[in-house]
Amino acid sequence: MKVLEIKNVHKVYNSSEVKVHAVNDISLDFNKGEFAAIVGPSGSGKTTLLNMIGGLDKPSSGVILVDNTNLAELKSSGLIDFRMRNIGFVFQSYNLIPVLTAKENVEFIMGLQNRSRKEREERTRELLKAVGLEDRINSKPSKLSGGQQQRVAVARALASKPKFVLADEPTANLDSKSTETLLDIMEQLNREEGITFIFSTHDARVVKKARRVITIEDGKVISDERKH
Amino acid sequence: MIWKTAWKNVWRNKIRSLVVIISVTIGIFGGVFAVAIMNGAIEQRVDAALNEEIAHIQINDPGFRDNYDIQLLVNNPVEVIDTILETPGVEAVSSRLVLTGMANTAASSTGVQILGIDPEAEKRVLQLYKTTIPGTGDFFEHESRHNLAYVGHALAKELKIVRYRIDKDVLDSLAARGVPAEVMDKLALFTGIRFKSEKSFKKAVKKVLSAKEQHDYGTAIREEAWSFRKRSKMTLTFLDSQQMQTGAVFRIAGIYDIKNTMYEMSQVLVKKEDLAVLANLDPDACHQLYIRIDDLENTEEVAGALAKKLPGLEVMHWKEIQPDLAMMTEMVQKFYAIFMVIILAALAFGIVNTMLMVVLERTKELGMLTAIGMNKKRVFNMIMLESVFLSLVGGVAGMLVSQLLIAATAKNGINFANYAEGLEAMGYPAHIYPVISTSFFVIVVMLIIITGILSSIYPAMKALKLDPAEALRTE
Amino acid sequence: MNNLRLAWRNLWRNRRRTLITSASVFFAVFFALVMRSMQLGSYDYMYKNVIESYTGYIQLQHKDYWDERTVDNTFPFDPVLERQVLEDENVIATIPRFESFALASNGPKTKGVLVMGVDPEKEEHLSRILDKMVMYRLTPEAIREIEQDDRVPDKVKELLPLFEHTAYTNAGRLQLDLGIPDKEAPVLMPVIEEYSRFENGRIRMGEPGVWVGDKLSRYLELGIGDTIVLISQGYHATTAAGKYEIKGIVKLPLPDLDNKIAYLPLDICQGLYNAEHMLTSLALAVDDNQDKTIGATLERLSSMIPDNLRLMDWREMNEVMVSQMEADNKSGMIMLGILYLVIAFGVFGTVLMLTAERKREFGVLVAIGMQKKKLASVMTLEMLLVGLLGILAGALVASVMILYGVDHPIVFKGEMAKMWEDYGFEPKMAFWHIDTYYIWQAVIVGIMVLIAMGYPMRKIFGMKVVNALRA
Repeated sequence: MKVLEIKNVHKVYNSSEVKVHAVNDISLDFNKGEFAAIVGPSGSGKTTLLNMIGGLDKPSSGVILVDNTNLAELKSSGLIDFRMRNIGFVFQSYNLIPVLTAKENVEFIMGLQNRSRKEREERTRELLKAVGLEDRINSKPSKLSGGQQQRVAVARALASKPKFVLADEPTANLDSKSTETLLDIMEQLNREEGITFIFSTHDARVVKKARRVITIEDGKVISDERKH
Repeated sequence: MIWKTAWKNVWRNKIRSLVVIISVTIGIFGGVFAVAIMNGAIEQRVDAALNEEIAHIQINDPGFRDNYDIQLLVNNPVEVIDTILETPGVEAVSSRLVLTGMANTAASSTGVQILGIDPEAEKRVLQLYKTTIPGTGDFFEHESRHNLAYVGHALAKELKIVRYRIDKDVLDSLAARGVPAEVMDKLALFTGIRFKSEKSFKKAVKKVLSAKEQHDYGTAIREEAWSFRKRSKMTLTFLDSQQMQTGAVFRIAGIYDIKNTMYEMSQVLVKKEDLAVLANLDPDACHQLYIRIDDLENTEEVAGALAKKLPGLEVMHWKEIQPDLAMMTEMVQKFYAIFMVIILAALAFGIVNTMLMVVLERTKELGMLTAIGMNKKRVFNMIMLESVFLSLVGGVAGMLVSQLLIAATAKNGINFANYAEGLEAMGYPAHIYPVISTSFFVIVVMLIIITGILSSIYPAMKALKLDPAEALRTE
Repeated sequence: MNNLRLAWRNLWRNRRRTLITSASVFFAVFFALVMRSMQLGSYDYMYKNVIESYTGYIQLQHKDYWDERTVDNTFPFDPVLERQVLEDENVIATIPRFESFALASNGPKTKGVLVMGVDPEKEEHLSRILDKMVMYRLTPEAIREIEQDDRVPDKVKELLPLFEHTAYTNAGRLQLDLGIPDKEAPVLMPVIEEYSRFENGRIRMGEPGVWVGDKLSRYLELGIGDTIVLISQGYHATTAAGKYEIKGIVKLPLPDLDNKIAYLPLDICQGLYNAEHMLTSLALAVDDNQDKTIGATLERLSSMIPDNLRLMDWREMNEVMVSQMEADNKSGMIMLGILYLVIAFGVFGTVLMLTAERKREFGVLVAIGMQKKKLASVMTLEMLLVGLLGILAGALVASVMILYGVDHPIVFKGEMAKMWEDYGFEPKMAFWHIDTYYIWQAVIVGIMVLIAMGYPMRKIFGMKVVNALRA
C-alpha cells in the first residue's frame, strides 16, 4: 500500500541572477512499513525534496500524493490540518515546545485534535514508554539530554498515528550513544508497529540501519537500493 | 573607538532601534510641546498684564489699597514724578486717579473702577490703547465737549452699548466674505432686529442655522453683525472728595479688548482733568503712579531704589501686586519638569528591555571581546554609550519636531476657540503662541542623557557578569 | 493544553522581559488612575463648591433675566407652581431669592454692594450662609488679652499681630493661621476662642435687618447695631431706598465678594425694591445631582413651567467654570495619552523581540499541524496577560493610594493654600473614588496590546513554514 507517491516532481528557484533546478524530475514511491533514508550532500536537493514531501513547499511541476491526496490541492489551513493527521515530523533540533513537559509535548497534537483526556493520557504513556522515557514524562526539554529530546520528538510525531514519519537529520546533533539509542527505538517501532520512517540524512549510522537508501545528487535520484 | 563602535551598534538591528527611537521622539515631542503651549499662555498672560494692565511698578499712599479711599492722595505728586523720572531704570511714569463707582445705561448698570488718566503719559507706560477695537474710537485723541470714557469690551456688552444686528449693510458685507445665499436668506429673517446681548444673538442664529453652517460662518456673522453706536453714552456715578454723590454723562470714546473679561468689566478710563473736576480734586492730584521700567530683570532693584527715595509712599512691583503671575510661571515649570521625568521614566522601561536583549543577544561577542582583552570598564562604557545614543537620537528628533511645530505656530498661534470663554475669564488668551526657553531645552537634553545612562546600568551589569569561557560555549 | 495555559507558561520563558514590560504597563496605569482620581475629585469638589454655594443645580427665572439682570425681569412667586415643583421626586426644597445692586452708605462713605434677599432657613439647602457667620475675631482687645495669658506659647503670640482684625467663621482656620499643631489644639484653642468670640445676630423673615460682609463692614466702619442705608433703582423705575440695622456679620471666602455683600430677608428686600412677591430666581435643591438625573428632572419640570419662565441648569449658569474645567480635563487627558503612547511603543518593542526570537518555533508548530489561527491566539493571549499583569498591579497600588486619599485629601499649606482660599476654595486635593475610569485604563491597554499584535499576526499568517524552519 502506497503511503507516498512522488511523480515527476521538479522544483525550480528563480533568483535574480540564476535559475536553480533544485529538484529535477524525481519520481519515487513509498510503501507502508518502509525504513528509508534519502542521502546526498548539501545542495543536492534532498532538503527541498523533503520539504515538498512534508507539504511545506510546493513543487514547480509534478504531483505529490500522500495517501492518495494531492498535497498541492489543499489550501493553507486544510494543508496544516492534513499534515497534523497524516505526517509526523522530527526535525534536527528545536522540535519541542520549551515550556511544556515531555508528556505535554506529546499530548499537544492530540489536544489539537480534540481527543478525549483519557485517550490522550493513555496514548502518551504508551508512546513515551515505547521510546524508553516513561520515567521522564514530567520533565521540560531543558532538563533532557539531546538524545532524550529527540526521542520525545519521535513519540510526539507518532501521537496522531501518521501515515509516515519524516525525519530531517534527526541525529545530526547527537553523540554516538544517543544516536544508537534513537535509531534502535525507531527501528523497533518500525519492526513492531509497522511505522513508516523516511529519513533525510548524512549520518552513516542511519544509512547503515536503513533498509532502503535513495541517493540524490544535483536534484536527481542517482540510486535507489533496497537491502534486506 | 568605543564611541564609534557603540554608535554603529545602535544601527545593527534597525527595526528594533527605530521602535525605541520613535518612542523617545514621541515622548519628548509630546512633553516639550505641551510645555511650550502652557509656557506660551502664561508668558502672554504676564505680558498682557504688565503691558496693558498693571505696569511694572505702582506707587501710592500706604493705606490706599485697603479700600481705595478717595482721600488718600499722593502728596506732592509733581515732585514725586520728578524723583521717579530721575531714578535709573525708569522708562516712563503716568499718574492716575482711582475711584469706585457705578456705570449706568438705560439697559443695565454695574459697579466699576474709574481711572482718571493722562492719555499721553499713559501711552508711554501701558499699551492698552493699542487694543482699541477699530471703528470704536481713538484713545482720547480728538477734542470733544463731552466727557469721554474708554471702556472694555466685556463692559460694553454688559451695558448693551455693543449690540448685534442684521441689516442690509451687514448682509452685503457677509456676501462679500463669501457667505452662501441660503445662509443669508435665513439670516435675513432677523433684519431690523437689534439684539441686545451676544447671547441672545447667538441663540437666535443657532435656531436657524445648521451646526455646520454655524461652524463655518459663525465667526464672520458675529463680526459683521457687531455694532456700536458711535455716540453711545453712559452715566458714571461716584462720590467726590466731599463724600457727595456726583456723576456725569460720558460718551464712549473707544472700546478696548484685551481678552481679559475681569479687567474689561471693571476698568473704565476717563481723562484725569475731567474726573478731577467732577470729584472736586486738584488737577494735579493723583492716587497712583504707574511706572514702566526698561528691563524686567531689574524689577526688584529699581523698586528698591524708588522705595528708598520715597519713604512716605508704598512702592510695589508687579510680583508683589499680582503674586499669582510670578507663581504661575514657577508652578508650571515645576509641574512640567515632573511631567517630563514621568515620560522619561516610562521610556526607560522600553530602553532597558531593548538593551537587555542587546546584551543577551551578543553574549558570544561580548565573551570574545572580554577574552581578547577589553576590560570591564570599557564593556560597561560601550553598553552605556549605546543606550545614551539610542536615547539621544530619539530625544534630538523629538526636540527638532517640537521646534518645527513651535516655529510653524509662531505666526498664527493655536486657537483654542472652544475654551475661549473659560480662558479669557481667567485672563488667559485663547489664541496661544507656544514658546520654550533655551534653558528648558538644555534641561531636557540633560534629562535624556541621564535616562540613557540609568537605563543601561542593569543590562550593563548583566554583560559584566558574563564569564568569557561560558559565553563562548553558548550553542 | 489549552491556549490560556500555553500562553501563561510562555510568559515565564523570559521572565525579565515579561516583568519589565508589565512593569511599564503598571507604571502607566498607576499614574493614569491616580491622576484621574485627583482630577475627577477636584472637579467634583470645585463644581460642588461653586454650584452648591451659589447657583445650585437648577433655577427658575424670568425668561429674560439671565441676559438682562434687571429688577424689571423678575417674576411673581407662585405657590401653586412651587408645590408642583416640590412634588418632583428629585426636588428637596425651593430657595427663593431676590438679587440686585445698590449703593450702601454709612453717611459719609458709599459703596456699591450686591444685595441678596434670601430666606435664611431655605438657604441652608444651598449657600449655607449660617455657616458663614463670623464666630471669632482677633480684635485689638482680644489680642491684648491673649498676650497676657500665660498658657499661650510665645510663638503663637508673635503671630497674633499679623491677623489683627481678622474674622473667622470657624475655629479650624483660626488654628491654622496661628500655627497651632493638632496635638496642642484641644488645650489652646478653647482659650483663644474664648477671648476672640464674636457675638453675632440673626436676620429673620419679616423683620427688617441686614447682614453685611466682614470687609464691607470694616470699610464702612459699621458694626452690629449700626444703621446702613441702601439706595437703588426699584421695580418699574421707582426709587428704592431703605435704612436697616446691621444684625450680623458674615465672612465670605472670596474677598472680592466679601467687601460688597449684604443679605436682607427676602420679603424686606422685595419691599425695598418695590417688588413685593417678585423673585429674581427660584433655585432648587436636588437629591441626586448626577448629570443623568438632573437631565431627567429638567425634562419633567419643563412641562410644568409657564412660558414667561425659564429653567436654567448649572452648566448654563456656570458656563465659564465649565469651560475652564473642560480645558483642564482635556489637557490632562492629552498628557495621559502621551504617557500611554510611550508605553505602547515599549510594548510593541517587546512584541517585535518576541516574534523575531520565536520564528523557528512558529515554523515547527505549524509544520507539525498547529493551525496558524491557534498560534496567533496563543500569542495574543500572552501579550494580553502581560498587559493584565500590569493593569492589576497598577490598579492595586493605585487603589491603595486612592482609597486612602478619598478619606484623607491632601491639604496644601503656605502660598498655594492662600491662593486657593482667595478663590474661595479650601486648599485641598480631593480624590475621586474607584469608578468607571478604571475600566477605561484596561480598555486602553487592551487596545494598545491588540494594535501591537498586528505585527506578529502579519508575520504568522504570512509565514512560509519552510523559511521559518531555516531561521
